[in-house]
Amino acid sequence: MTHPHNLCLTTLARSDACAIKTFGEELLDHLDPVEVLSSRTGLVMLPMRDTAQGTGFHLGEVLVSEAHIRMGAHEGYGMRRGRDLEAAMAMALVDLALDAGRAVADCTAFVSEQAKMQQAQDHDTLCRVEATRVDMETF
Amino acid sequence: MAYVATRGGEQAIEQAERLFRAEMGEITPERVAEIKTALPYLIDRVMGEASLYDEDLAALALAQAGGDLYEAVLLLRAWRTTQPRLHVARPIDQGTLFTHRRISAAFKDIPGGQVLGPTLDYSHRIIATDVLEGARYIPAPVTPAATPAPAHQPSVAAWQAENDLVEMPGFDETAPEDIPDVTREPVLFPATRAHRLQSLARADTGATLALGYAAMRGYGQAHPTVNELRLCEAEIIVTHPKGTAFSAGRVKVSQAEVVSKKGDTLELGFAATLGWNEVKCISAATLDLNSKGAPKGSPTEEEFYLYHTEGVESSGFCIHFKLPHYVTFQSSLDAMRSAKKTSKTAEKTSTSKEPAQ
Repeated sequence: MTHPHNLCLTTLARSDACAIKTFGEELLDHLDPVEVLSSRTGLVMLPMRDTAQGTGFHLGEVLVSEAHIRMGAHEGYGMRRGRDLEAAMAMALVDLALDAGRAVADCTAFVSEQAKMQQAQDHDTLCRVEATRVDMETF
Repeated sequence: MAYVATRGGEQAIEQAERLFRAEMGEITPERVAEIKTALPYLIDRVMGEASLYDEDLAALALAQAGGDLYEAVLLLRAWRTTQPRLHVARPIDQGTLFTHRRISAAFKDIPGGQVLGPTLDYSHRIIATDVLEGARYIPAPVTPAATPAPAHQPSVAAWQAENDLVEMPGFDETAPEDIPDVTREPVLFPATRAHRLQSLARADTGATLALGYAAMRGYGQAHPTVNELRLCEAEIIVTHPKGTAFSAGRVKVSQAEVVSKKGDTLELGFAATLGWNEVKCISAATLDLNSKGAPKGSPTEEEFYLYHTEGVESSGFCIHFKLPHYVTFQSSLDAMRSAKKTSKTAEKTSTSKEPAQ
């Protein structure tokens, strides 16, 4: 089962850096030569809405790595938090492969596996958080 | 104003920097990784004040500055200027925050309940001196609950609005790219609320606490109660070239809402910052709450606190006084001596003219 594009990208952006780099290397065998449009680090400004008056304001900037590649009429894009250009490029390769219909089953399996790991991680975190819930008793 | 050119300090300067750096020894990736792992709250503080989120860079800056926070923040702010801005993300809404801690000191039974999360609020502060004698301090593991907490918690203010205690804010329709930005334009007074909140988000923690504390102690108009305090993670929602919105990862965010009674309604103050830093958020929200109608020159007046909580500017101004001021100080001395001489001469003249008793 293929994932919706947004969920796929979100999962890839948060995936384990070593795992996605290894998988990206393997994908190269399934792809034609790619043109690198950009591979760079940069900043994403993160705005927030204040809950008192509803005003949008800038919280600060986040360092990200970005990769944008092209193979014929198909494009791949990766953006991840941090300064790991290789991981961003690997993300772009997966996106490109899915766009071009190459190694789709492998890509889907990789995304599913990473999504499962991330869900398990969140579940574990939230169970630990829940342990700190105050069971308030009023006398 | 006059300047004199001097020379002869090159070697001293070179050796002084070497002396500073030699004290800290070699900086290795392992040291940076250890700082990042062992000191997350310090990393958060530095990232918030630098207004740049990257734990690795913050740890490196701390290592390079030997733990001097102002130097570390300056390093990060300077490095930030070398990077292009690629995107402005979609604004974070409170309802989408992956919440680790969420409490209210104003209401016991808030919707979603009180979730303490990671905190030392109710702990004994006892230093583990055994470690210095060779023992290991191994923290007790958390006993996880069988079911997870909800990832997203409802807003306390929204619940208060339903009960006619506060007014729900309108929706700010400003496009993310059009939100005023203190890194691109100067802050003018009265400042826009966007400038105020952004400045507080990147403010120096100690300075914010000092001025916020002044307001809490009575030098402000309103006494704060923590309406809602959150430690959470926010998704960085960016856009793929094909238009798909996705998260490029999560960042730690803290936010505080403080409340005070005004007439028959409640007034809210708000602040948030990158990283988990509760003291700064509560202090900054207190300053926000007290801003309206604050007397000129008081700690809660917007211009006063925004100027004096900007850490890079204030620390920079402070340390500039260490630099040679030989000409200006000499000029002051000359003026002082001249005044003394004039005074003595006048005294002498005055004495000689004094008629004999």
